[in-house]
Amino acid sequence: CNKLDEKPYSLVTPDGLTTASDATALVSGVYASLIYDPGEQPIYGRNINFLADMTTDDWAAGPAAINANVQALSRDIHDASNDRVLAIWRQHYQGIGRANTAIDIIGGLSIDPVLRLRLAREAKFLRALLYFNLVRFFGAIPLVLHTSTDLTNLKTPRSAVDVVYTQIIADLTDAENLPAIYTGTDKGRATSGAAKALLAKVYLTRRNWDGAIAKAAEVINNKAAYGYDLPVSFADNFDYTKRNSGEIIYATDFTLNASLVSYNYLFASSWPSATGNRADVPADISLYSLYASNDIRRAKTFYTSKVALVGTNPTVFTYAAPGYFNKYVTDAYAYAGINGYAAPISFPVLRYADLLLIYAEALNEKNNGPTAAAFEALNEVRRRAFSQPIYSPGAYDVTALTNGTYTGFQDAVWLERRLELACEANRWFDLVRETRDGKSRLVSEVSKIASKTAVSERNNLFPIPQSQRDLDPEGLPQNPGYGN
Amino acid sequence: GNQNVLKTSLDKPFTKLLQTTRYALALVIPLLFLSFISAAQIQTKPVINSTLKGKVIDAKTRENLLGVSVQIKGTTNGAVTDGKGEFNLITGQIFPYTLVVSYIGYEKQELVVSSGPIQIELKANPNQLNDVVVVGYGVQRRKDITGSVASVPKEALSQVSPSVDNLLRGAVSGVNVTQSSGQPGASATIRIRGGNSITAGNEPLYVIDGFPIYNDNSSVSTGIGGSATGTNSGLNALATINPGDIESIDILKDASATAIYGSRGANGVVIITTKLGKRGTQNVTYNTYFGQQKITKQLSLLNGTQWAQLYNDVIAAQGAGTPLTATQISTIGNGSDWQNATYRTAPVQNHDLSFSGGDEKSRFAVSGNYFKQQGITINTDFSRYSARFNYERSLSSKFKIGLNATGSRSTSNGVAANTGALASGFANLGAVALSTSPAVAIKSADGTYNVNNPYSAGYSGNPIQDLNTVVNETNVTRTLGNFFGEYNLLQGLVARVSFGADLLNTRQNYFAPKSSLNGSALNGTAAIGNNDVNTWLNENTLTYSKAINTQHTFSVLLGYTTQYYKSESVTSSSSNFLNESSTYNKLDAGSVANPPSSSAYSWALNSYLARINYSYLKRYNFTLSARADGSSKFGSGKRWGYFPSAGFSWNIADEDFLKDNKLISNLKLRLSAGATGNQEIGVYNYLTAFTPLTTSLNGTFLTAYIASQLGNEKLKWEKTTQYNIGTDIGLFDNRIVLTADAYYKKTTDLLLLVSLPLSSGFSTALQNVGAVSNKGIELGINTDNIRGNDFTWKTSLVYSLNRNEVLSLGSASYINPSVPTILSLLAPVRVIVGQPLGTFWGFKTDGIFQNQNEINNSATSDTKANTKPGDQKYKNLGGDPNIITANDDKTVLGSSQPKFTGSLTNTFTYQGFDLLVFLQGSYGNKIYNALKQQLNVTSLVLNSTTDVLDRWTPANPSNSVPRASNQPTQVMSDRYIEDGSYLRLKTLTLGYTVKQGTLFNKAGIKSLRFYLSAQNLATWTKYTGYDPEASSFEQNPLLQGIDYGAYPNYRTFLAGLNITL
Repeated sequence: CNKLDEKPYSLVTPDGLTTASDATALVSGVYASLIYDPGEQPIYGRNINFLADMTTDDWAAGPAAINANVQALSRDIHDASNDRVLAIWRQHYQGIGRANTAIDIIGGLSIDPVLRLRLAREAKFLRALLYFNLVRFFGAIPLVLHTSTDLTNLKTPRSAVDVVYTQIIADLTDAENLPAIYTGTDKGRATSGAAKALLAKVYLTRRNWDGAIAKAAEVINNKAAYGYDLPVSFADNFDYTKRNSGEIIYATDFTLNASLVSYNYLFASSWPSATGNRADVPADISLYSLYASNDIRRAKTFYTSKVALVGTNPTVFTYAAPGYFNKYVTDAYAYAGINGYAAPISFPVLRYADLLLIYAEALNEKNNGPTAAAFEALNEVRRRAFSQPIYSPGAYDVTALTNGTYTGFQDAVWLERRLELACEANRWFDLVRETRDGKSRLVSEVSKIASKTAVSERNNLFPIPQSQRDLDPEGLPQNPGYGN
Repeated sequence: GNQNVLKTSLDKPFTKLLQTTRYALALVIPLLFLSFISAAQIQTKPVINSTLKGKVIDAKTRENLLGVSVQIKGTTNGAVTDGKGEFNLITGQIFPYTLVVSYIGYEKQELVVSSGPIQIELKANPNQLNDVVVVGYGVQRRKDITGSVASVPKEALSQVSPSVDNLLRGAVSGVNVTQSSGQPGASATIRIRGGNSITAGNEPLYVIDGFPIYNDNSSVSTGIGGSATGTNSGLNALATINPGDIESIDILKDASATAIYGSRGANGVVIITTKLGKRGTQNVTYNTYFGQQKITKQLSLLNGTQWAQLYNDVIAAQGAGTPLTATQISTIGNGSDWQNATYRTAPVQNHDLSFSGGDEKSRFAVSGNYFKQQGITINTDFSRYSARFNYERSLSSKFKIGLNATGSRSTSNGVAANTGALASGFANLGAVALSTSPAVAIKSADGTYNVNNPYSAGYSGNPIQDLNTVVNETNVTRTLGNFFGEYNLLQGLVARVSFGADLLNTRQNYFAPKSSLNGSALNGTAAIGNNDVNTWLNENTLTYSKAINTQHTFSVLLGYTTQYYKSESVTSSSSNFLNESSTYNKLDAGSVANPPSSSAYSWALNSYLARINYSYLKRYNFTLSARADGSSKFGSGKRWGYFPSAGFSWNIADEDFLKDNKLISNLKLRLSAGATGNQEIGVYNYLTAFTPLTTSLNGTFLTAYIASQLGNEKLKWEKTTQYNIGTDIGLFDNRIVLTADAYYKKTTDLLLLVSLPLSSGFSTALQNVGAVSNKGIELGINTDNIRGNDFTWKTSLVYSLNRNEVLSLGSASYINPSVPTILSLLAPVRVIVGQPLGTFWGFKTDGIFQNQNEINNSATSDTKANTKPGDQKYKNLGGDPNIITANDDKTVLGSSQPKFTGSLTNTFTYQGFDLLVFLQGSYGNKIYNALKQQLNVTSLVLNSTTDVLDRWTPANPSNSVPRASNQPTQVMSDRYIEDGSYLRLKTLTLGYTVKQGTLFNKAGIKSLRFYLSAQNLATWTKYTGYDPEASSFEQNPLLQGIDYGAYPNYRTFLAGLNITL
């Protein structure tokens, strides 16, 4: 008589997770949720850009964007069935689920308590990052903090935005106790600096100017301890070989590998061809024209000429400005014809220049006008862009402001954010957060683009995916403007 | 490793045998009492006097017939033929007198004998009523059966076919066979009375010589070469069995018949019995055929000039002028015909050599088979070597043993999946070839393959070169054996014990050189995979048969069976080859090694079964059966499932009031009800599990554990309840035989991948939720139109109608099944409550926007500003009147399930000639022509079908084909949902059997037949793809009827020879 409970030879069951390595592997799974989703573009492998860049005045879908859902986002006419919106929802909750599982399980393991605390805090940092994205995209959202084991009771209704932020802040506050610096193979994990910087961004979004100033200052004033600085080369931030340079606070690295343990589509979507067929995100001239010709960021943000292989022949392609986005294109890989999805890139989630601009903006808001520290923070970013010594005043500094000092400084910081952080999944978040005359700037700015005139107030939030609402209509009412 | 598995697995059945013997003894005692009731029959011996010697043979096969009853009419004087077909009758009569010769399965013959010795030739009886039908764990006379059991007719079995499943095509009603592709060795999709399940398997259970096998193609795949995407590289596990070895196929359809297979009976059961020699004869048979195959049809693709004009139009649509001049366009001319270069005329050949025979004590058959089929796509083929040994011997009057064993080696070279840079559009390398621009040369001036495609960025390779050089090979070695011992414990009481093993070893090899599209980015890549699937079976049954008076006959079956399955697979791959000469044979020649992967899983099934057949006056027949199955695949408290059934049949024609009716020769009514199950869900689905994943953090590879499934301890069987009413009617001495059935099946507790709120962190979990129903009508009519001595004509009509409906999906009203490849963007299929499975979902087209005014006054799928005259217009079905949205305006576009299917077979014989005309068809099914959709996306790179010649321009206001533009977005619409109805002249065979004569006798030839045959000679269909029988996703129950560049079907002409010595 055969035994009916066969051994699951190639699966790990919860009972099988006991050691420090197992605990580390669970947290590695949370990190993986940012860069790997089989058969799909992962969160930081371009999916987040579809919501945070494609819907804005920075990106537009090109002719090779054969996905109608991407075209719809580009026109701001997306509906609740949009597959990119659903993917973002799913991928974020998948990562949150892994973080919840890791936190739940690790807490019960008898392993080195220092490691146990650190791993749980890393998971909390990632959970906070994911919830921060979600609450901004969707507003009130289901707040799930533990892994359920009961299949019949999985519905979670939307929690108020304030409740979600309370949890995000709690997680990040705990994560502030993470190490400031890692060594060896632990490099690349979430640090206390990352937690503080993200907290600064959270407070800025919440219009808690004091909180944003305090957390940004804690990092900026101790930047040596965290190992942060503004390196001279802007391009290094996107160079995989120089990944986690001084400016990177937190980045996801897509490592070149034949077996595709991570996929990124950013390289592929920027890649040229004889026919314009491959690069499916052409740049918009309105963004290009904002850069001064001697701004070093322009050459790294756009290209108008590349050498690539046609058949086996190296061929120079030249495009009229603005050409295509260049931040994630590495010439060597482009030339070698590396499978675009496997090309190594470093995607900056949080970097020091961003934090400086957060600091500058919060100081301006807090004091109803810029302080010296606010000017300094803004100008450090500008000096690097114009190849000036970073810590001494230079010719490109913002000193005089038009349109009043308060709004004038707002304009300057907001413009600088756009120039500095293009293609880094910040634009939509910034436009929704930035208010003028009590209204977000999303509609007023995006509607300036001819193909995006459909943008309206509803676009300040994305729709709750229809498939999720069909599973729980009461718990998940739709955001305004997306039908019932 | 493996040896230990083997040892422990063998130990288990033996321990079981001891236990079973104990059970058996407990059962024997009550049965003993019954046996005493039986009355011994006394035989009267004739007075010794004159004798008649003679021999009885089969009129057609010339084989000796053993056990034929020869009786003098009007007396009790009789004899039975011996192992040489001979009899010696003590007659006590003077010539002439009349002999009555009768034998089961043969026409009764009366003949006047005036001298001896004589040779009597018996003709096989076309009336199947007395035929023995193989049912689960036994045989039954067709007359006594209560369930719906169809036997595949001999004509169908003698069809030329590479694999068993294709023999079922059009053979019996209620069985729908769809060939998934024309790739040699590829599988067919088989649905017996519709699909019951949404997520779990829908294929029937095959029982080969008593060994139950679920034909799961994943058991012969390791995922290498792209079969993981479900596109055209899967080998059919059943192709490892030689169809030439098959003696009979019986199909169990209703619950009365299938419930004895319990948890595996819900999808129907196909019982395959292989050949065994006949007593009293020894035959050497050689069957062979040779043939040529050719594609049935060419797609109409643009030629060079047409493509160049399209190229200009696309660029003009971008506002960038027309780059190609008229001279350049005319220089391109017809350009390259990539389609023609992809396909070829390909040979097929088959050789079967068998030895069979038997005497009173034993029967045997030994056979060897060699089959080789080249594919119509270049560099594809399938070959099989197989050997079989069947043996049965009575060791004593009480003890019989037997063995069925077959070993085979199958090799398939298939079209590899497209994993290259342009992988987004086309599933396999064959389809990539079709899509290549005709303006690109296939070969360069120096005769080498041209790899410079000026219209494509990066390296595009050359698809014809790729088809020739990319290796995508599957080798399957299968050993399937089952031996048994049968012991007559008492009169009528038989104990049977059998052990069986199915050892299936698959080795896959893949190599894509750096010159190929698939291998270019990786500088050459190679992979090998091995999958070892072993199944062990032990079955123990006890059968007691008994007749009381002539009024009551009954038989009782009790049994215990246990089956164990283990699968272990491993794959490894590497890339970056400095030297490619070793191809996949030396992975360490590649300097980049990928992490190897492996997996192992097992399941076990323990079952108790019981059946009682009772017949009163041979008119009223009852069958009760039940099976209890315990499966390791389910939650700990839910492992055991119970599957009962009851059947009743009434032989009305035997009633007094019809007994002498000249019109009605047979009339039978059948009723049955019962429950069966489905366990084809994969393993360990009830467990919460983590799987390892290699990820990277700051350039360091590390292992992550991710929760891969949320456990469900409540997971249990999917249950199908089925009701059947049927009738068998024979008219005019059974010259018209009609079988009709109506059934209703309801499957509940569906093993469904239920969508979970994603906020749980999980997408789906397997749960027992929802219900599906199938109801239908089946009709089989066999007529004996002309029954002359020289000329005969028989007709057989098979008709099946099934209506499938999803009754419930739990709390959800629909499910979007996941679709691999680029089709995931289109989400072409949706499972919807109230609709059948295989429902296509999308927008309805509403012509083409002719002018700006029409755009302004209609709903558009883009903003008004971005919509141009010439763009596709869709029907607005609700919601916002200005905009077409997926939420509001998608609807049901039809179903891949046919309204009905049918076949018509006519067989004619004239003297030695035989002619078979087999027509087969399907009506009302829809096909999603995904290949055409991909081809018709106008771009600056790829070729299109000639449909786009009618594209909208101001001068050509087409209302069906949109304007040229560079890669317009693809949306799922009814534009590519096509009518898949077809009628096909599937087989036309003309044969000639050489007449018996002295030459024959001298040469020792018993029979000799030559034939010519054509398959797929003509097809009438509106489908514009290669072939209406196409299903790119093979066995996937949700993705039937999608043609995403499926390997095309072909037409075959062949010549064959059957000779028996």
